[in-house]
Amino acid sequence: MSHPVPRLRAEALAPCPISGHRKRFDGTATGGRAISTQADIAAAHLRLEQVSCRIGPRAVLEGLELDLRFRALGVVGRNGSGKSTLARLLAGLMAPDAGQLRLCGVDVAADRAAALSTVGILFQNPDHQIIFPTVLEEVAFGLRQQGLRRRDADDAARAVLAAFGKAAWEEAPVSTLSQGQKSLVCLMSIVAMRPRVLILDEPFAGLDIPTKAQLMRYLGRYHGSVIHVSHAPEDLADCETVLWLEQGRIRDVGASGTVLPAYLAEMTRQGEGDDISDLPG
Amino acid sequence: MISLTSPVRTRAHGWPAGLKLGLLVAATVLLAAQDALAFHLCALAGTLGLYLLPGGRFFRAGLRALRGLWPVALIVLAWDGLTGDPLGGVVVVLRMVSAVALANLVTMTTRLSDMMEVVHWLGRPLARLGLNLRALEICLALVIRSIPALSEKAGLLRRSWQARAHRAPRWRLIPPLTLLALDDADHVAEALKARGGVAGPKTTKLP
Ligand SMILES: Nc1ncnc2c1ncn2[C@@H]1O[C@H](COP(=O)(O)OP(=O)(O)O)[C@@H](O)[C@H]1O
Ligand SMILES: [Mg+2]
Repeated sequence: MSHPVPRLRAEALAPCPISGHRKRFDGTATGGRAISTQADIAAAHLRLEQVSCRIGPRAVLEGLELDLRFRALGVVGRNGSGKSTLARLLAGLMAPDAGQLRLCGVDVAADRAAALSTVGILFQNPDHQIIFPTVLEEVAFGLRQQGLRRRDADDAARAVLAAFGKAAWEEAPVSTLSQGQKSLVCLMSIVAMRPRVLILDEPFAGLDIPTKAQLMRYLGRYHGSVIHVSHAPEDLADCETVLWLEQGRIRDVGASGTVLPAYLAEMTRQGEGDDISDLPG
Repeated sequence: MISLTSPVRTRAHGWPAGLKLGLLVAATVLLAAQDALAFHLCALAGTLGLYLLPGGRFFRAGLRALRGLWPVALIVLAWDGLTGDPLGGVVVVLRMVSAVALANLVTMTTRLSDMMEVVHWLGRPLARLGLNLRALEICLALVIRSIPALSEKAGLLRRSWQARAHRAPRWRLIPPLTLLALDDADHVAEALKARGGVAGPKTTKLP
């Protein structure tokens, strides 16, 4: 390879610092419960005020109210409970029909330029995310979108590949990669943009156990805050705070140690029922 | 054929994309201008020689990419055979194979983003008239990306049809494939929006 890999700066994978970030970690959630969060400068702040969202005639999310500081936030709920819709709202890919949403103080749906350095999202299917035929081009794309010049974007992308120990992937055709490798390319592409918050919408569902474990380990190289969406409580073991969605409403939010066991018990109970027979509407 | 990548890194990967595209244009004009059978035999031999330079793996990948041409070649040969000009048909086929092979050669050894840089340069006069070049580049990349993506989806649909039917699906795959394409486009649009959309680079700089 003809290009020298630039030396990686220690903060290369850390998210952009935001100005005026207050060092207060007294997150409160609905019901006034205090949620203890790890004291860390990278803690993100999420505020929802009466957020509602409807798709067609159906209310998919209704009256969400939240004021939370977190490093790792888990979102659980059954299929169709509105998790992906919430993830889309938090990534600013759609605006709520009613209410206010602020992530780290940014109105992510309205201020797209600020949203790019505030939040990144990893979808379940890497094939929907990857546009370019080779790995370096894909990783550099988001950086160019953030306004970096071609050469700077390529250098920064190489630094990210090197930080993930994947400098050799630079020229690799994406079409030859496995599904897990494609997921890693997506992860590196988002991390390269250094968002303060990374949203994972069941990105590793369908991957085998070793691949998933390896990707989770690579995820550890990202130093910002994470919002991990999953229907499976075991995926959210690393989250200190968990938000439980049920039919578009917040059923519970709090320390994972209390919310996850309650969720699991409820899921087991519902598993004995037969609501699979219920048609929508 | 359009989203070709090379299995190995060749020396030509380092050449400027503009130079390669310029040479390709010159070679194509030359191929179109000549009619002699001997010239086209030499041209094809020379082209295949180029494919051999980076080694056997590259050569085989190159030949695989050309396989799709045989039905066209067959039709041309049959037509010119019937109309009494078989030699003319051979020249047409040789010219076509050389031209496509050379174009593939450039594609295989050039990064898409480098190609886009050339498009950017060529489009600069149009940018003054208000054309958003960044949007043009991204659209080109999306078109190129969607071709293999769609053929893969068509393959999946055919398989799920064949799992439950005796006969080949043929045209009946078209409506569901159209819907899948639209669905795919929705997802890609969303993923693209998540990384800044097609509006072009924002003015915010990384610290
Ligand atoms: N584009 C859409 N069109 C129609 N209904 C949708 C659309 N997206 C989501 N929904 C509906 O909204 C509800 C919540 O969906 P979603 O947010 O994807 O839930 P989850 O990710 O928790 O499975 C579901 O009932 C789903 O059917
Ligand atoms: Mg979902």
